Order: sequence, then structure tokens, then C-alpha cells
Amino acid sequence: MNSSTAGNAPCCAPGEAIGLEAVSFHHGAVAAVDGVSLSVPAGAFVSILGPSGCGKTTLLKLVGGYLPPGSGRVLIAGRDATTQPPEARRLGMVFQNLALFPHLSAWENVAFGLRATRVPGAEIAPRVNDMLARVGISAAEAGRRPDRLSGGQQQRVALARALVTRPFALLLDEPMSSLDNHLRQQMRDLIVKLHREAGIATLMVTHDPAEALAASDTIVVMNRGRVVELGDPQTLYNSPKTVFTARLLGPANIVEGPTIGLPEGTRALVRPADIALNPATSAFTRRVVVESVEFQGGHWAATLADGGFRWLAHGPGFPPPGTEVTIGAARVHPLAGEDSP
Amino acid sequence: MTSPWRAWALLMPALLLAGLGTAAGAALTLRMSLHATGTGAGLYEPGSFTLAHWMSLADEHHRAIIGATVATGLAAALVSTAVGYLLALVAATLGGGRLGWVLMLILAPRLSGVLAALFGLQRLVPRGWVGSALAEAWLMVPYAALILLVALRGIDPALPAAARGLGAGPWTVLARVIWPLSLPAVALCLQLGWVWGLGAFLGPLFLGGPEQATLATEMHREAFDLGRWPRAAADGLALAALTMGAWAWGGRREAA
Repeated sequence: MNSSTAGNAPCCAPGEAIGLEAVSFHHGAVAAVDGVSLSVPAGAFVSILGPSGCGKTTLLKLVGGYLPPGSGRVLIAGRDATTQPPEARRLGMVFQNLALFPHLSAWENVAFGLRATRVPGAEIAPRVNDMLARVGISAAEAGRRPDRLSGGQQQRVALARALVTRPFALLLDEPMSSLDNHLRQQMRDLIVKLHREAGIATLMVTHDPAEALAASDTIVVMNRGRVVELGDPQTLYNSPKTVFTARLLGPANIVEGPTIGLPEGTRALVRPADIALNPATSAFTRRVVVESVEFQGGHWAATLADGGFRWLAHGPGFPPPGTEVTIGAARVHPLAGEDSP
Repeated sequence: MTSPWRAWALLMPALLLAGLGTAAGAALTLRMSLHATGTGAGLYEPGSFTLAHWMSLADEHHRAIIGATVATGLAAALVSTAVGYLLALVAATLGGGRLGWVLMLILAPRLSGVLAALFGLQRLVPRGWVGSALAEAWLMVPYAALILLVALRGIDPALPAAARGLGAGPWTVLARVIWPLSLPAVALCLQLGWVWGLGAFLGPLFLGGPEQATLATEMHREAFDLGRWPRAAADGLALAALTMGAWAWGGRREAA
């Protein structure tokens, strides 16, 4: 198969788009990625979520072929790609700093991959124009160099450049980290829309739980080079197995079991939004004193003193500090106990 | 005093010194070039006036010398930039100890004395224009390589990585990403090599034959061997004009 055909035939690999089998990578003596196995089905949107330095970007580079794994196998569309260079993998990647070519116009940036893979000249202009239109870049903007575009426009061009070659999968390395909240929301919507339209498997690295929860079919939680747990966003948010995941995905009250009527030696997660004042029905009730209340835009947040423990509660309103109230929660999620690998 | 005025006031002594020094040197040289060659102990004949030295720049002998000078400048610029680019490309991919060794290799022509190095080169390359041009280029390579190394290391490593991810092989990445992004440094090296090569003296002296005189060696011969200082002054000013022309051309390119 020549590179032209290989590089640009429509991607519709059935089954698995990306597979990792016990992949490891070491920076010196430190295991940046430690025996990670993972499957990204064709058409799925998978996010890798974890704190800085947990190995998520390294994992993405291993998938992209930018780093060689120390051990394990990388599969792309069912084929062993472990030793393949990036140019042979047919993956579109959006880098954290976007990596737009500064000497080329937005249009030329998007055309780069088509030219590099020797797509016939007559096909290039229609495909580039179509892709730029889909990401909302006008003809005038397409003629500008990246430094003459806004951050949001640059982001759109980077997405168009990654998708125009019709890759097997799209890799996104913290694609929205440099944007303000408003643009971040717009970009997230655009990424999800393009993902749905193209039906392309997407693997996104992020440290923002809101991004992962909103966009993903599956979230992979990583810490210290290992997968802590994975699952769909709702299950992971509501019923995480570990304290690490519970805290990573959002504000969390991690309480000792006996405090809320569970057995000794257990711990449980109560989300702040699940806490209710004077509940009619509840898995438990506690008398607490309102310590502080602050407005956070969409809701009020209160800190509630329960002896030495501090509950965090979110709601439409709270009594003033110093007031004694009864709290309960409709949902309590027992945790397995292990914090993280 | 406003800050721009203060800045100019601070710069003025250095500007005056450099400007007057250059202008006074050029004026004195020009004055000498317009006099007849001295017949006694002086460098020129006081009270005389002649354009003969300037007219002689157009004769066949000088046309050949100016041609050799320009050719040496071009060769030094092209060869030193090309070799420097290759060395810089290799060095840019290395880190730590290996980079140190490659830097030593790059700097080797300047680590030993220039004369010692040229004596060594005499054994390795043929005498003649090729040898003298190669010698000049060889002396210029460290500067070109270091300038280009800094430029190449300044290219965001995500750019070639992005190009490869888009399906570009190593040669395409070099031709369509690295080369265009390093062009400003390449232009600077060509300009420096050209100016360096125009002033070629040691290369032609050690490795050139009698036919490979350049304006620099001709100045030396006219002044020290033949005692014709006014003619040497005209040669010197012609060389200065060529050099300034090169800088003006480079400056115009940069502005464009």
C-alpha cells in the first residue's frame, strides 16, 4: 500500500482504534508510564485525566510514536505499531502548544498533512476549505499566519489540521489549557461536534475534570504512571472506587464509615451537591454548625463544622455562619479504600 | 531630560568614537589614494594629485583580482554555511556530553592557531583558488555552525513532531519545516561568510598560487613589497566598498 492511499483512505477501522498492552516508559529510574493497558474503541471519546506529572502526556506520546515504549505493545487499528514512526501511524494530534507552523498561513498549515502524504493536488483545496469551514475559520482568516490569529482561531486551525488527513484516531494533549473559560466551552463543544460528525476515536489528555466529564465516553484516571481506574463519567463521578478518583473528579467529602452509620474501617464519598439541610429522608443525619458561606455563581458553598470534621456543601442557600443545622445526604458511596497506586 | 535623549547622550561618545574613527580612517586612506607614490621616505608624494590608482582598478590585472575576491567571498559564504548547517543539524539533535564533543569538533579550526591550522591544510588540500577558498570557508565554519546551532535549537521541537504526525518523513520535515524556519540564520551566515571571504588574506597567502591574489593580498603586496601605498589605499577602499555593498544588500533583504 503506498503512502498516499494509506495516509488518506477514509478511516473506518472496526473494533479497536487504539490499544495499549502493558506499556511502560521510564525517565531514568522513574517509571513515567508503568504497565498501562488500555483500549480505545473506534468512534469512542476517551479522556486521560490525572494531576501534573502523572504520565498522561507521556502516554499520549507513546501512542503517537513520539516516544518508544520500554516494554509492551501499541496497537493502532488492530495492527502492532510499537516500532512505527509517527508518520506511519495515521493519527492526528493536537499539541498542548498547538505547534502550528509559524511560517505558513492557516490554510497552508491545514494543507500540510495532505501534501506530505501526497494527496492529489486537485483534492487538497476542497478538503482544506471544507475542514476550515467546519471549524469556523473564514477565508480571510485562512490566509493569515498563526501569529495573526486569536488563541481560539489557532485552536480551530490546529483541530482542522489534525482532522483533515482523516486519521485513525485523534490525540488531544490538553487542547484547551491555554484558553479562557468562555473559549474553552466553545472549543469543547466544537471538539465534541467534530468527534460525532467524523465518528473518529479520540484520546484526550486533560487535567480538567469538567472537560473530561463533559466530553468523554470513558475517563481513564491516571496517577504515578498507572491507571487508577476507568469508567464512564457518571459512574466514576458518583461511584469512584478510590479516594484519589473521588477527589480528582470534583469536590468531595471523604468521611469515615462510622460517622454516617457505616462499619468501622470503611470510608465513603458524599458529594457536596448531595448534602441537604433538614432532609426528610437520608442515609444519615448529622448536627453541624455553619462555619462559612460563600456565593460561587451557580450555587452557594458552605463549610459545616462537625466536631473536628468539616463538611463541604453546595446548595441554593445556607443559614448564616454560627447557625446549627441538621444535614443528610440522599446518596452515599462507599469507597474501596485504596487511595491510588 | 527625557529618556530617549538620555539614551542618545549615553550612546553619543561611543557613536562619535566609532563614527569619527571610521570616517577619519576612510578619509585619510582616500586622501592617500589620490596622491602619487612616494619617491623618498614618505608613503606618498605631498602636493601631488592623481586618479591613476583608481583608474588602475579597472585594468585587467585588477579585474582578475576583484573577480577572485568576489569568487572567494561567495565560495567562503556558501561552503561555510553548507558545512555549518550540516554540523549544526547533527549537534542540534544531541544533548549532554555528546553535544560537548561535537562542539569541540566544530570549534577545532579556532582552537589551534590559525597559522598552524593553515600549515596543516597545506598538506591536505591542493594549492590554488579551490584550496584558498576552502581554507577561508574552513576558518568561517565554526561561526556559521554556532549561529545555525542556536537557530536550530530555537525551533520549537513540537513543530517537527507535528509535521511527522501529519505524515511527513524526515526529509519533508527538514525541507518544509526546519529549513524555512532557519532561513534568517542561514541568510546571516551567508552575509558573514561573504564579508569574511571578501577580506580573504591568509587562505590565498598560504594556499593560493600566484594567480589567486585577492584585494587583501594585493594590498599587502602593493604596500609592503612594492612600497606603493597610495595604490594599496585604493585597493583597500575598493574592498571596503564591496563589503559595505554586501551589508547593504543583506540589510535590504532583511527589511523586505
